[in-house]
Amino acid sequence: MRRTYLGEFEEVVLLMVAILDGEGYGVTVSQALEEHTGRIVTFGTVHNTLIRLEEKGFVTSELGGGTAERGGRRKRLFRVTALGSRALQEIQQLRQELWQLIPPKTLQLSGS
Amino acid sequence: MKPPRFAHWLLTRLHPEETLEEVEGDLDELYTYWYERAGRTQATLRYLLNVVSVLPPFVRRRKRQEDYYQTPSILQPTMIRNYLKIALRNLKRQKVSTSINVVGLAIGLATCILIMLYVQDELSYDRYNDKADRIVRVGLKLQMNGKDVGGYSLGQNAARDLKQEFPEVLKVTRIKGQGGEFVSYGTTSFRQDNLLLADSTFFEVFTIPFLKGNPKRALTEPNTVVLTEETARKYFGNQDPIGKVLSFGNDKRPYRITGVVRNVPTNSHFKFDMLATLVGQDQTIDWPGWLYSIDYQTYLLLPEHYDYRQLAAKIPQLAEKQMGSEIQQFLKLTPKQFREKGDDFGVFLQPLTDIHLYSRAESSQSGNIMYVYVLTAIAAFMLLIACVNFMNLATATAVRRSREVGVRKVLGSVKGQLQQQFLIESVLLAMVALIVGLLVVSLALPFFNQLTGKTLSMNLLIKPLMATGLVAGTVLVGLLAGSYPAFYLSSFKPVFVLKGRVTAGRGSFNLRSGLVVFQFFITISLIIATVTADRQLRYMQAQKVGFDREQVLVIHDTHMLRNNETVFRDKIIRSPQVVTGSISGQVPVGRTNMDNTTVRTKEDPDQGVMTRFYFVDPEYIPTLGMRMVQGRNFSKSFPTDASAVILNETAVRALGWQKNPIGRELIGHTDDNGVNIMYRVVGVVSDFHFESLRQKIGPLAMFLGRNSGNILVKTRTDKLPEFLASLKQQWESFAPTAPFSYSFLDDRFEQVYVSEQKIEQILTLFSSLTIFIACLGLFGLATYTAEQRTKEIGVRKVLGASVGSVVALLSKDFLKLVLIALVLASPIAWWGMNQWLKEFAYKVTIDWWIFALAGLLAIGIALLTVSFQSIKAALVNPVKSLRSE
Repeated sequence: MRRTYLGEFEEVVLLMVAILDGEGYGVTVSQALEEHTGRIVTFGTVHNTLIRLEEKGFVTSELGGGTAERGGRRKRLFRVTALGSRALQEIQQLRQELWQLIPPKTLQLSGS
Repeated sequence: MKPPRFAHWLLTRLHPEETLEEVEGDLDELYTYWYERAGRTQATLRYLLNVVSVLPPFVRRRKRQEDYYQTPSILQPTMIRNYLKIALRNLKRQKVSTSINVVGLAIGLATCILIMLYVQDELSYDRYNDKADRIVRVGLKLQMNGKDVGGYSLGQNAARDLKQEFPEVLKVTRIKGQGGEFVSYGTTSFRQDNLLLADSTFFEVFTIPFLKGNPKRALTEPNTVVLTEETARKYFGNQDPIGKVLSFGNDKRPYRITGVVRNVPTNSHFKFDMLATLVGQDQTIDWPGWLYSIDYQTYLLLPEHYDYRQLAAKIPQLAEKQMGSEIQQFLKLTPKQFREKGDDFGVFLQPLTDIHLYSRAESSQSGNIMYVYVLTAIAAFMLLIACVNFMNLATATAVRRSREVGVRKVLGSVKGQLQQQFLIESVLLAMVALIVGLLVVSLALPFFNQLTGKTLSMNLLIKPLMATGLVAGTVLVGLLAGSYPAFYLSSFKPVFVLKGRVTAGRGSFNLRSGLVVFQFFITISLIIATVTADRQLRYMQAQKVGFDREQVLVIHDTHMLRNNETVFRDKIIRSPQVVTGSISGQVPVGRTNMDNTTVRTKEDPDQGVMTRFYFVDPEYIPTLGMRMVQGRNFSKSFPTDASAVILNETAVRALGWQKNPIGRELIGHTDDNGVNIMYRVVGVVSDFHFESLRQKIGPLAMFLGRNSGNILVKTRTDKLPEFLASLKQQWESFAPTAPFSYSFLDDRFEQVYVSEQKIEQILTLFSSLTIFIACLGLFGLATYTAEQRTKEIGVRKVLGASVGSVVALLSKDFLKLVLIALVLASPIAWWGMNQWLKEFAYKVTIDWWIFALAGLLAIGIALLTVSFQSIKAALVNPVKSLRSE
């Protein structure tokens, strides 16, 4: 099966959406990124990445949950799709397999 | 705690609309977050930076919902198959509008194809020559006594002089027409009307392939002749003609056959069955020059990539020198004096490919670029009208299909698919129309050939280029005609459609009315043109030509009887069926000898008047029923009549002898010793047309003299066949080499106007076709309107409207459109016909009643078409139309 290419930043954002489990939208994803990875990125980067992920079919979105602090405007809440979760799992699995292949000494030597 | 106003404003203005709400909210929330964590300045700065990051060009645009889920490719074969199936079903279901559409478009296309074939043929003239673009003909500009007597031939030496003077003239060749000549081989004798004489260089300039013989040597010796395939077969059957000797004319001049060539293509401006050599024919006596015996069509072959205008700029010098000295010799005038009289002379060059379409009419064969333009315009209009009809009908039937569109949209069709479907439908219809059109063309071609006197064939259409062009053109027509309905229909909103709220809007009604006006504009213009052309033709034929052309028989080639010509004449006039008979070379209509001379009055010998002259016998005037205005006819009882002259009224005026011309004297010509030969005027004959009615009557002088060629016979008989048979018998008793042949003067007269007649017939044909197509369109539209207003009509009838008032209501709108079209068409048609009539010296006026007639005709036709539907609609029982509410 041809795998849709998932960039590094896209993968991280997709993970954030997964972590937030239905509560992910522009603000929470940016904050989670900052919190968990320490990366501060512009809002536009996050916004664009989310749109691209949706186009690739890894997330779906719906509008909802306007609050007072956003002036009653609705949020676009993202959720990982089946395709998205499979992609994440495949990446995870691939990594695992690759880790298995590393000879035990290599990392120790370079690490110390 | 508000984010900076300006940044927010920028965001609302520039951020894509689709995601504005969420982004605004997100950024507001983030601003609060930053504010709380890092204070106002930080928050403002970060807000600004982030706003910029979501402005174009950085921001990614969220696609619209429809585009989001990838639709299967629009050109899937399954879909196309489905479109075709639906299209066929639709076409089958709406038989009336389908057939109207197909018939309309097919006729439009057929007309277009026919005209295309015709125009293509006209434009292809003389292009069969390999060197077509390098050949030019030298024409003569000559104006004498204010009359243009120039033409397309020159004297015998012009070719030689041009070749000597200009190195860029690679080859010259001359062609000389030779009237009819009797050519015999043994006992086989035919009159050869297409006999030309040409220089030996002929085949180096023109491309006429040889079947037998050597093109390089074919015409180099005196008394040699080349035959065409067909002529060779006529004389020799399957024998080899090379080396055989034909005898020409009464004196049996021998001509040896040196070659056989392919028949001259029909699209050639010269035609010959036999081509005899000019070698040894050139005159060495008299005045061989440029202006003397102007019988030679002179052609020059120029180098490749050479603009003939360069040569045209250089020739006048030579022409001035040569022709100037000749004018000096003949007229005793220097070129300057000649020009001071308002006359002019010179030469001009005409590219070979222009000869057919741009020459003044020499025969009914020659083309006219104006007719090519007019026909092309008609073709374009016909096609346009057919397309307009198509659009009109398709748009009108749109309402019927609006539900279909609605349902399709609800089931997920997108606009593009619907447009595609409608376009495919119209292209399909156009292709069907093309096939029908081609059938029509193949059926109509023989008649069209008869009408135009051409031999066009469908073969031209089989050429790959033409075939592709035709199909591509038809597809284009289908696309164009289908585009408006496609876009209009696919833009229906399903909600309204399914609620049944769609009626054709005001706007589309305006478009459709515009199209109707356009159609009738063209129809009315064509009616006006046809009526005017018809009137002009009738006028010309009914014109008092000044002589009696009824019951006059012309017996041809009587000079072949030689000395027995008079005997024969005297013999036939003794018959009780003959009133009188005259021997003459000059018949006032049709191809005949036309000679000009300059006569001068005795009182003022410097003032020459260029006139036509006839040699006639005393019977000429009574035979043709010409009227003597003053004086008397020639008579045998006056021996002095040998030096008498009869003038026509125009000549009398031109000589300035309005008062009492009888008995005055004029100088006919000057003999070799410089003695003026005087003629005394004995009579004045009333003006008669001796040329086409296109020209004004010119001066004419008649002298008494023997002039053989034809015998004109005025008959009074009901038993024409017997009379002709007896004539034939008498003719054969003289055992001439020529067969007995004759024509009637009134037939000959009509022959002269063949080209006008053709144009009139073609105009009639096309205008009736246009009217027909326009009617089809109107019929379709009326059907639609009636259908649209079924309920309205039902309600009106319930409320007491009469059938008449309903019909009037339905017809009124269309009449208005026809009237608008009439107002628009009248001035344009008037202008166009005025241009056409300018060609004629004697012409009809364009009266107001023609416009009224055309208008009435158009209104009548429109009413007839519309009323069929409106009466049907008005007669429907209102119960039927109202029950379904």
